[in-house]
Amino acid sequence: MQLALNEKRLLLELTKIRTASPEELAIVLDRPAESVIQYGGLLSQKGLAEVDRDVSIRLVLTSEGTLYCTEGLPERQLYDSFGESSSIAELNNHPHARIGLGWMKRLGWVKIDGGSVIKTGNAAPSPIEKALASPDTVSPEVKKELLKRGLAAEEESVRYTIRITEAGQKFAASGIELVEETGTLTSDQISSGAWRDLTLRRYDISKKPRPVWPGKIHPYQRLINEMRRILLDMGFTELYGSVVQGAFWNFDALFQPQDHPAREMQDTFHLKERSELPAGWEKVRDIHEHGGETSSCGWGGRWDPEKAKATVLRTHTTSLSIQHLATHPNPPEKAFCIGRVYRRETIDPTHLPEFEQLEGIVMDDDVSFRHLLGYLKEFYGRMGFSNVRFRPAYFPYTEPSVEPEVWIDGLGWVELGGAGIFREEVTAPWGISSPVLAWGLGVSRVAMLRMGLSDLRELYQSDIDWVRRTPVMNDRGDC
Amino acid sequence: MPVVSLPYKYLERLTGADRKTIIDRLPMIGCDIERILDEQVDVEFFPDRVDLYSTEGVARAMRGFLGLESGEEEYPVAPAKIQFTVDENLKDIRPYLGSAVIRNISLDNEAIISLMGVQEALHWVVGRGRSKVAIGVHDLDKVTPPFRYFGAPLTRKFVPLDFTEEMTLAEIMEKHPKGRDYAHIVSGKPVMPLIEDAKGNVLSFPPIINGELTRVTEKSRNLLLDVTGTDERAVMTAVKVITTALISAGGTCEGVFVNGKPCPDLTPSIRDVSVSACNKLIGCSLNADEMAGVLRSMRYGTEPAGPGVVRVRIPCYRADIMHDWDIFEDVAIGYGFDNLETMLPRAPTLGREHPIMARAGLIREICCGLGFQEVMPFTLSCDDVMYTKMQRPQDSRVLRVLHPISEDQTLVRTDILPLLLDLLRINKRRELPQKIFHIGDVVRSLETSQKMALASTHPGADFSEAYAVIDSVCCEMGLSYDVAESSDPAFIDGRRADIVVNGKVIGVFGEIHPAVLSAFDIDQPVSAIEIDLKALE
Repeated sequence: MQLALNEKRLLLELTKIRTASPEELAIVLDRPAESVIQYGGLLSQKGLAEVDRDVSIRLVLTSEGTLYCTEGLPERQLYDSFGESSSIAELNNHPHARIGLGWMKRLGWVKIDGGSVIKTGNAAPSPIEKALASPDTVSPEVKKELLKRGLAAEEESVRYTIRITEAGQKFAASGIELVEETGTLTSDQISSGAWRDLTLRRYDISKKPRPVWPGKIHPYQRLINEMRRILLDMGFTELYGSVVQGAFWNFDALFQPQDHPAREMQDTFHLKERSELPAGWEKVRDIHEHGGETSSCGWGGRWDPEKAKATVLRTHTTSLSIQHLATHPNPPEKAFCIGRVYRRETIDPTHLPEFEQLEGIVMDDDVSFRHLLGYLKEFYGRMGFSNVRFRPAYFPYTEPSVEPEVWIDGLGWVELGGAGIFREEVTAPWGISSPVLAWGLGVSRVAMLRMGLSDLRELYQSDIDWVRRTPVMNDRGDC
Repeated sequence: MPVVSLPYKYLERLTGADRKTIIDRLPMIGCDIERILDEQVDVEFFPDRVDLYSTEGVARAMRGFLGLESGEEEYPVAPAKIQFTVDENLKDIRPYLGSAVIRNISLDNEAIISLMGVQEALHWVVGRGRSKVAIGVHDLDKVTPPFRYFGAPLTRKFVPLDFTEEMTLAEIMEKHPKGRDYAHIVSGKPVMPLIEDAKGNVLSFPPIINGELTRVTEKSRNLLLDVTGTDERAVMTAVKVITTALISAGGTCEGVFVNGKPCPDLTPSIRDVSVSACNKLIGCSLNADEMAGVLRSMRYGTEPAGPGVVRVRIPCYRADIMHDWDIFEDVAIGYGFDNLETMLPRAPTLGREHPIMARAGLIREICCGLGFQEVMPFTLSCDDVMYTKMQRPQDSRVLRVLHPISEDQTLVRTDILPLLLDLLRINKRRELPQKIFHIGDVVRSLETSQKMALASTHPGADFSEAYAVIDSVCCEMGLSYDVAESSDPAFIDGRRADIVVNGKVIGVFGEIHPAVLSAFDIDQPVSAIEIDLKALE
């Protein structure tokens, strides 16, 4: 059995005196009494000593009680303030009249006759008066009265006694060597070899350490990084681009009709700045007005270039995808983007005006809708959603369109993102003749499912303790 | 997206299938089931399929989808007799009119509710809140043809729907609930659109309200439809969707001469589509017959048109068919998404990180290594946080949103440090020390770029700490830097410095000014750093 130096010293002392209070031992061992209790605790864990904790409750006078102890109780002060008798009216001038009169009557010191208070002649000290002198030794009834009148209060006091056990005696008898212990190992001790003769103080491994908070990546960024890694693994090139977009790229190039409600101020953050139309914008106009050179009939009506020059905070990262395609019209092309997008929504637990969106696009000569479903299944599978199904959907810029749903235990089928093949009306103006598969996904929705969050704001206005407590490796949940 | 209520009894009667079968399969033609109630199911359909906004339209689609019926429905139109004229004085106000007469119809309560539902949904989706299209359905037997659609003065009177007293048009716009909702569409115009009969009875004040006189009830047998608007195609779409629904509800359609031209035209349009183009897009291998069969189950008419081509007759109500691919999508839906096997292309491509994202990743590694925790604040902020509390002047390149939702989100951030201080405020009761950082986008003028910031708060946070951290950050970023006296008012004079790289100030560090700390309600010292990564390019 390994004992620290202080434990050994305490045990040796106890072999001499068997039992003692920490205060007595503190003097002998030259350590604070609290430390002695701690050493005693360590010895008792090893069965070498016992520490008795005796809790006693004492009755102690309150400040009011102390005051009355010297000045007399209100009833006594009132009693002493008049002669044989007095009128009630006159007595009422006394500061203790209200409490005092009742008590005097109850104790039989006075009787009341008409409007007069007359002394009975018997005013021996009451039990409470006696009790004030030694409150700790009174009868239960008087004690109750003292507490009730607020004259005394209960005070808990703990007394420790440390006693050596049979096992402690035996252990001590087998011989204890007192060696000076070292707390800190120094460089000198290491290099000089002095460490060979040192006894290093043992640590109590049952005590929890103080917390250390590591610098770490935000749990939400880790999720984003995971998605980025999956897409990079799948051979996608990453896109990054402007938060501010012309309405042209955000809406018109994606065949969103100019009178579509989503373009309006209620749904989209508009800015006062204007943007320039890119070269080739006329083809987008033609597509809107009559379908251009495609088999489409277009939306009809007039397409207004001025509306397309408005600027907005991007409502989706698709504005980056189409610009990438416009500058890279030749297959094959696979790209993705995870970026913040903006919708004019009032903040509530599941809706925020800004959030992350993931988008992936695949352009190649021979890709089809079935490949799109394949990419979706692969991506969600790598994200840990092994059960995926597909439902028809509608998005203005894709045809066919599809809504993937993933199975989550306890929730059932959960809609997670949208996908489709870019309409020819979207790709034709830029000379793109291969199909473009596209899918998008609200990253924060995945975050909520993964991290079990009920309020999206927690991601952006984080409680630091939440970040500290969220393990780096264990936030994958069950999905 | 509009939610359409489908009453079970009516839906089951029209479809010829039980509600469970219908509800099970509905999502696979493209909709979200909102709620399943005792008497009805509420369904959210996509905005392109306006033909599904009526119970009749859903029943029509489901009969095909469930294999109970195949091919297109016929919509005969009896020759027009009734004349309807559009006055020239509406040319610049609301010039387009579509109309039809429905005869021998008997609508029960559920059918009337369905009719009102499809009108509401069309008003919203096609009509853009009635501005583009407004629809009125009238009891024809209460009025006398011919009808006239013209611009009337505001003083003209009639009894609007749900009222018993005559009101002037001006009063309706001001006092009638529908008037208050929709008056903005026509207010300020010299005359108001109005529809009256040969005797001067008012049928409707489009796009605001019908007259009480022609209210449709279970007793109505003959109906007149008016659709007015500013876009001819949208007007005709609404006419076709409603007319075909009323024919499915049991009525017969009779044309109306609108300025001498018969209306409506319910004939299908024709598209010759390539079978191989469809197979290529969807990734399947159907032959022409199989493809035609699938399309008939989606309620198209088909006929052979030479090798590898299917001639498709598109029902008039399918306003969403703009392009061949719209038909191909219906092939995929009719074939069943769940019957399409998923696959991946064989040839791989090479992925590549974006250099800015790669840099951000390395910077995160540096900051974490220095013991800082990442945070991810919003990019929308306000003057108070971004500038006022920081004691900094406004950045002249800041972008402001035109219609903010709240006072806290009026601009796009130009700096990151203020948001870190705001997070320290939120976390002021949490254990110290707190060391946080963020790297992310800022926007100045129209340009997006990145900044990074670090902040540390604890009783010993001071200039030396910030200096030590920036020294390490610059070293890890491979930057050789100088410092210069800074004049950034967010920091304490004498305890702040600019970071200079290649003669250019790229950032600032030091101890945050106590006035800034109090403004953020922070009661411990904060040492901080901010670097503009754009300045490094």
